Formats: sequence, C-alpha cells, structure tokens
Amino acid sequence: MAATKAQGRAFTLFMGGLTAAAAGIAFFSSGSGKAALVLGVAVVAYSFFRFLKIKPLEGKAALGEQPAIQKLVGVLLALGGWAVVLYGLHLTASVSGRMTTSVIGLAVTLIGVLFVLPSAANKNAIWKA
Amino acid sequence: MRIVRTASCICTLALLLTACAGIVARADAAPSASAGELKDTAGKAPTTATLAAGDPGGSLTGTISDVPVGDAKVGLTLGDVANQVGQNKIGINFTWTLITGFLVMFMQAGFAMVESGLCRVKNANHTYMMNFLVYACGLFAYWIIGFAIQMGGAAGNGNLGGLQPLASEHALSLFGTNWGIFGQSGMFLAGHTYDVGVMVIFLFQMVFMDTALTIVTGAAAERWKFLTFAVSSVLMGAFTYPLFANWAWGGGWLAQMGTNLGLGKGYCDFAGSGVVHAVGGVTALAVALIIGPRIGKFNRDGSSNAIIGHDISAVLIGCFILAFGWFGFNPGSTLGASGAGCLRIGSVAVNTMLAGCTGTFGALFYMWILKGKPDASMSANGLLAGLVAITAPSGFVNPTGSAIIGFVAGILVCLSVSFIENTLKVDDPVGAISVHGACGLWGVLSVGLFADGTSNYGGSWNGVTGSVTGLFYGDSSQLVAQLVGIATLVGFVFSFSFVLNWVLDIFLGQRVSAETEVAGLDLPEMGQLGYPEFVFKPEPDVLLAAERVAVA
Repeated sequence: MAATKAQGRAFTLFMGGLTAAAAGIAFFSSGSGKAALVLGVAVVAYSFFRFLKIKPLEGKAALGEQPAIQKLVGVLLALGGWAVVLYGLHLTASVSGRMTTSVIGLAVTLIGVLFVLPSAANKNAIWKA
Repeated sequence: MRIVRTASCICTLALLLTACAGIVARADAAPSASAGELKDTAGKAPTTATLAAGDPGGSLTGTISDVPVGDAKVGLTLGDVANQVGQNKIGINFTWTLITGFLVMFMQAGFAMVESGLCRVKNANHTYMMNFLVYACGLFAYWIIGFAIQMGGAAGNGNLGGLQPLASEHALSLFGTNWGIFGQSGMFLAGHTYDVGVMVIFLFQMVFMDTALTIVTGAAAERWKFLTFAVSSVLMGAFTYPLFANWAWGGGWLAQMGTNLGLGKGYCDFAGSGVVHAVGGVTALAVALIIGPRIGKFNRDGSSNAIIGHDISAVLIGCFILAFGWFGFNPGSTLGASGAGCLRIGSVAVNTMLAGCTGTFGALFYMWILKGKPDASMSANGLLAGLVAITAPSGFVNPTGSAIIGFVAGILVCLSVSFIENTLKVDDPVGAISVHGACGLWGVLSVGLFADGTSNYGGSWNGVTGSVTGLFYGDSSQLVAQLVGIATLVGFVFSFSFVLNWVLDIFLGQRVSAETEVAGLDLPEMGQLGYPEFVFKPEPDVLLAAERVAVA
C-alpha cells in the first residue's frame, strides 16, 4: 500500500493540531490560548485516530510479535537503573560513593537496554522462522 | 614662636590644598585630554575627497569617522567609542556563531550522502528524502515548542549580549535544592524573545538539534514507513532532544550538579557528544529495536549477511562534508570569537581535526589487521567516530588527549558495530548506533578523564569557578558528573524514545509492508526511483530466498 493520500491528510492534521496546541500553551493566559490548546489536542487526537484507521491498509510487515511485558520490563530496568544513579547522588556526599552508585545504576540500565529489550525484539523474529 | 607655628600650619594647609587641587585637576584632565585626542584623531581622519580617490592599501578605510556619534552637537565622546567596542564584540560573536551554524546546517547534506550511499539503490530516494524532510520537521517542531523547552531559561550568555529574554526555567525543588527541568520562554520566538541575540542562538541550536534527528534515519533506513518517520522526527525535535539539551545546556539539573552537589563543573558537554550524538544514537537504537532487521539481514542460525550499500563514493564524500561541518559544530560552540576565553577556538578546531584523523586510523588499523582489508565504509565510520567522540571534550582537552580520544573511538566503533549486529541482532544499515551512540557516550566519559584544566571560558563553567578538569588531571568528581550524564542518556532518553516510538508503532506502524520492502521503498513510498535509468542488479540468492519467505 505504502504512502497514500489518506496518510498525507492525517499527517497534515497532526501538524496543524500540534501547532495549535503549542500556540495554546504559548498564549495560555488568554482565553483564545486556552481554546487553541483544547482545539489542538483534539485535532492531534483525531489525527492519531486517522492513523490507526489507515494502518491496516499498509499490508503485513516482515516483523514478528514482540512480547509487550518483556519490553516493559526492559524499559523499567532502564529507568530503574537511572533512578539508582539519581538516588545515589543524595545517598552519600563522597565522590567514591557516588561513583559506585552511578556505576551500579548504569549497569542495571544497560541490562535493560542491551539484554532484555533486544531479547524481546528478537523473540519471534521472522529470521528465526 | 606662636607666629612660626601658625605660619607652619597655614603653609601645611596650603600645601595640602594645592596637592588636592592637583589631584582633582589631574582627574579632570584625563577625560579632557582623551576628548582632545578624539577630536584630534577625528580631524586627521581621511576626508570624503581622499576616500573618493580609492584606498587600494586598505589603510584609509575604517577610521574614527566610522564610529557613530550619539549626539551630533557634542561630537564623538568616549561613551560613543565604548559602545562601538561593545557592538563590535557582540557583532564578531554573532557573525562567528551564525557562520558556524551555517556550516552545521550543511552537515545535513553529508548525512544524506553517507546514509544513502550505504543503502541499496532501490531505497536511495527514500533515504535521501528522509534526510531532506527531517530538516523541515525538526525546524518547525523546534520553532513552535522545542527551543522554548531547551533554551527558555538559558539567559546569561555574555558572548551573545546576555540573552536576557530567555529567563524562565521551570525548576523542581528536591532535597532542599532547585533543579531546572525545562525552559518556558521562546515558543514561536514571539513576544519578548523577538530579540537579535535570541535569533542567533535559535539558529545555532536548531541546526544541532537537526543533526540529532537525522542520525535516527540511518539506523532505520530501508524499512521505515515515511509517515511514521515524519511524525517521530517532529516529536523528537519538539520534546526528546530539547528536554535533555535543557538539562545539559539550558541551565537544567545536569548542568547544576556542580553548584548543587559539588560534582566538578556539573555535566560538561562542550559541543554535544551527549546532547546531540548520543541522544540521536540511543533513539536510533530504540527505533531499530522496534522496527526489526531488514529482510535477509539475519539467517536462521543468527548469523548475519552483509547488505552492501550502492555508492561508496557518496559515503566518502559525505564524510568529508561532515568533517568540514564539524568545524562549525565544535569551534562554533564557544558561541563567540571575542572575549570570555573564545580565542581557544583554534585549539578546539585542531582537536577536532586530530580526533577525526586518529579515529580514521583506529578503524583502518582494526579492519586491516583483523579482516585483511582497509575497509572503506568502516574507515569512514572511524573518521566520524573520532569526530563524534571529540565533540564533548574538544573545548577542554589538549591535542594529545584529543588524539587518544579519537583513536579509541575508531576502534570502539568497529567493536560496537560487531556487537550490535552479531550479539544484539539489531540491524543498523549505516552504523549510526555505534558511531553516534557508543562513541557519543565515550566522548561524554572522556571529558571526565582528559579535561586538562587549562580552558577558561570567562573564569567559570556552569556557574562553578575554575576550569573543567578530569580524573587524569586531578578531579575525580567531574567523572561522576559525566557518568550521571551517561546514565541519563541511556536510562531516561533511551526509555523516553522507546516508549514514544512504541506508541507510534501501535497507532501508525513503524515498518513498511514486506512487499514494499522487497520492491524497494523508492516507488511505493516516494513514487519515484532515485536512479530511474539504473538497471538493478539482482539481489544475492540468500537475500532473494529471505524475501520470498517474508512476502509469503
């Protein structure tokens, strides 16, 4: 199916909605700003509805199902490691202590990014079939 | 006796009065003399008639006559001259920053050539078009909101006149200290941000942002649905990039780690190994994981096939364009050429050259020794790896340090390409994740190791007095600040990008159909072949077999 007029229309809606929403935020103090924000968010939401509607027209991609739970675990590990790094900064004032917690946190993050997520991405990869 | 004493007192008093009068007279005389000198110099300035005769030697053009006079009745004053000196400083810095920004903008052409050259001919138009449209997508998103998030609270840069309209940073109070989270001024460059200095910093920061966006297109090339690419790029330019850039460059919490926690000079990233390249690199990894490998890239046993690009000459010329643009990227990041230590631009430029050179050698030696050939595409990636790695430390390290950083990056990019392809089974057609992600992170780390403490950009960095100094020169706390930056890039920026693109995958679908992929994206997605008169060479058997299976 590839690129279509419907895609072009939905993308135009998305850009218009985003611009209106941004204008709404920029001039939020005024009444017209609030109206622009509401209108913009509504148009962006509608554009996503349009995206979803035309998605099946694309045809089947050469991509296996990626397990959502495993992907979520990978993301949580990545974020959890980052949280360890941030918490470690307030846990101790010593440079060596902070370096240790930073390295530990980074290691946890890397486990999520380099092991869990690639494993999820390749779990049902078509090249395995 | 009394008469003598009285006379002495009168004499002493007279002497004191005379001395004071002399001092006052001298104080008064100083401006008078200078004003006289100004008048004298103005009188000696070449007349209109003299100038009309031409000035082939250039010694008559540009004199005191060219200094604007504030009040014609008073004539030229010291105030007028001082104002002109200030204008000249800001004018030099504006010119420098704008021209280096123009150089960075031209890097888009280099990226387009490198990425397209490393892709197959059937996807050339699509890959070029992604690199083309990403400029418009990023620029527009940055104008409407991204710039405000990044630089909305970045007031205080003396090189560009203070940037006082950008003085609104949303801060979060945690553990008794305030941490900057995002800026709030500058949406649409409207209102009080309609300012000459703000325009300069907008242009410069915008082209940096666009560089980060265009990195992702390389890792997802040959299978990324054009619509999803466009939406993803807009959102990255509006939110992902500006958020981290605010934390590092806009006065956000990473930059504040020096003042708030005593960690060196806070997170230091001179020109963007982390802010630009690692943000692009980790986002590229996120998209590549979601989008999956190209048809035929991996065999059933997990081994990989080389999918050769169509134009190595475009790749190498593109690399040189990028290396040229990098002279805007790094030296331009002083945001000036006059005042506040900006004369270090020469050192920054030389560091940039050296790291690119040693990066090339690092990759070339690795490939030649271990694989038997001085591989062209990996040598090109070695050059880029060196340049990416030196981007963060270029303003803080000496030439020896930069040579080491570049050489390590050249080897690292080869190891990383192999790891990502053979261990992670992630398909990255141009090596963007390795070049920009892995080497970008190495560049961030290297600031904490190699910064030699000799830079002096106005006496402080991120509000902390002194020069940026790394572990090898005595400050281990700087390394901690850099590690926190790396953890933020891998932990937060990657996760943010992954979730964002996951949502887009649900609503839009990230990948084109198998039929489109097999046919090549040029006709189905763009409606036109990149090279319509080329006769396509059939794919190798292994790829043809994989394509048949995928379509079935």
